[in-house]
Amino acid sequence: MTNKVCVLGAGSTKYGKLNESIIEIALGAAKDAIESAGITPKEIQAGYISNVFGVADKQVHMAPVIMSNLGISHVPGLTIESACGSGSVMFREAYANVAAGFYDCVLALGVEKVTHTGTAHSTTLFSYCSDFFYEGGNGASFPGLFASMARAYMTTHKATEEDLAHVAVKNHDNGILNPKAHVRKKITVDDVLKSPVVASPLKLLDCCPFSDGASAVILCSEDFARKSGKPYMEIIGSGRGASPAAVQAREDITTIPSTVAAARQAYKMAGITSKDIDFAEVHDCFTIAEIIDIEDLGFFPKGKAAHAVRDGATRLTGEIPVNPSGGLKSKGHPIGATGVGQVVEVFDQFTGKAGERTVKNAEIALTHNFGATGASAAVHIFKKVDRR
Amino acid sequence: MTVVEVKHGTHERFIEAASRKKILAHKCSKCGHLMLETVMFCEKCSAGKFEDVELEGAGTVVTYTIQAVAPEGFEDAGSYAWVVFKVNNTSVRASGFLPGVKTPAELPVGAAVRVKGFDAKHGLLLEKA
Repeated sequence: MTNKVCVLGAGSTKYGKLNESIIEIALGAAKDAIESAGITPKEIQAGYISNVFGVADKQVHMAPVIMSNLGISHVPGLTIESACGSGSVMFREAYANVAAGFYDCVLALGVEKVTHTGTAHSTTLFSYCSDFFYEGGNGASFPGLFASMARAYMTTHKATEEDLAHVAVKNHDNGILNPKAHVRKKITVDDVLKSPVVASPLKLLDCCPFSDGASAVILCSEDFARKSGKPYMEIIGSGRGASPAAVQAREDITTIPSTVAAARQAYKMAGITSKDIDFAEVHDCFTIAEIIDIEDLGFFPKGKAAHAVRDGATRLTGEIPVNPSGGLKSKGHPIGATGVGQVVEVFDQFTGKAGERTVKNAEIALTHNFGATGASAAVHIFKKVDRR
Repeated sequence: MTVVEVKHGTHERFIEAASRKKILAHKCSKCGHLMLETVMFCEKCSAGKFEDVELEGAGTVVTYTIQAVAPEGFEDAGSYAWVVFKVNNTSVRASGFLPGVKTPAELPVGAAVRVKGFDAKHGLLLEKA
């Protein structure tokens, strides 16, 4: 039996092209999360950091540097890498340690800075997250890998490039309402279809941007959260899953096994089904990813998501709002931070900080984040705690 | 067929076989499952002993992309496809680099491809069969 774990505070930098160093970016989010939780750094007992390409900004072994700059150099920390899923995988480890009773209060922080390396080199860096001998080494970029998944999906389920474009349009509409989003620009289906091809059938506006940014949350025991007097939410479900690292090794390229497994665990732990979720933040690194995600998470039957997105089912006012933050597509994708940023969005939604993108009457939300083409994934489910 | 104990290595054997237009696979000595040579323990039963099986480097396209924006190291490759293909008469899938493909109409899913060799710069080199 594990202890209940809560999220007490949350903060994010703006996502985009940032000038500060990776440590300065991280500290900005940490400060916001600490202040949001109403705690002092001295109450933090451990630091969990997620990052992938710190080396690109001349900083690895990041946790002690962050802890030192928070004035708590005696607090142990560690850095976790799981490609684009680093944030959620790290969050899971932070959760597990509080649930196990090792700590009462920890910092979980994700950070990334890559835009200064340029688009071409960032693309190369990201390709190192693939099963490189078979994928990057044979000429596949990440857009290319997801494009191969898109072609498989479109062939199997008769979906169209226009169907995929609706995901981008919806997420940009949400991102416009998010002051911290990287790309706050309204786009149309036509804009997506006419944007330059990156890797067929995916075009530029099917792809998320390279982003810098950091997100941080404070996880704590239920007792700690209650005593704080601050608003908080409870983590009621947590799941992890894995898939073959290489796309070629998957029997069905139109589904991501790690998502299915992680979701199954999280729903079981929470004692709920996908029908009980009020909104979800999912991993939409490319438009096809969101289509596959929302089927694997159980929101729509296999092969039906594209039509559901077209019909508006995933919009803010739809039956299951998906990516109210704007998602990776519009909010941005600083890969070490993305999974934590999703948790920040849920916290902001539940604590009245989401402004015009607020999902009305939401009480249970899901986050889903994966690494690479879904080789690793984590799903978490949160419940709003009413303190009245 | 030679029974081998797999050691951690550099894919040298896979590359050597590819240069002879073959796909080097491993057949599990315990359960008979067939997988690519780079897997060190059987995916089905976790046994670590295999028989080498050289598969004919020919198959059909499962899915692919045409990389309009080539990653670093492939800027000089012209228009090409990254292809996932199923090796004929097996359940083994592999992926490779297929130069000269400009439009999806040139490469329908299900099209026949074959291994042409291994290119030091571009990896497992394919051609349309």
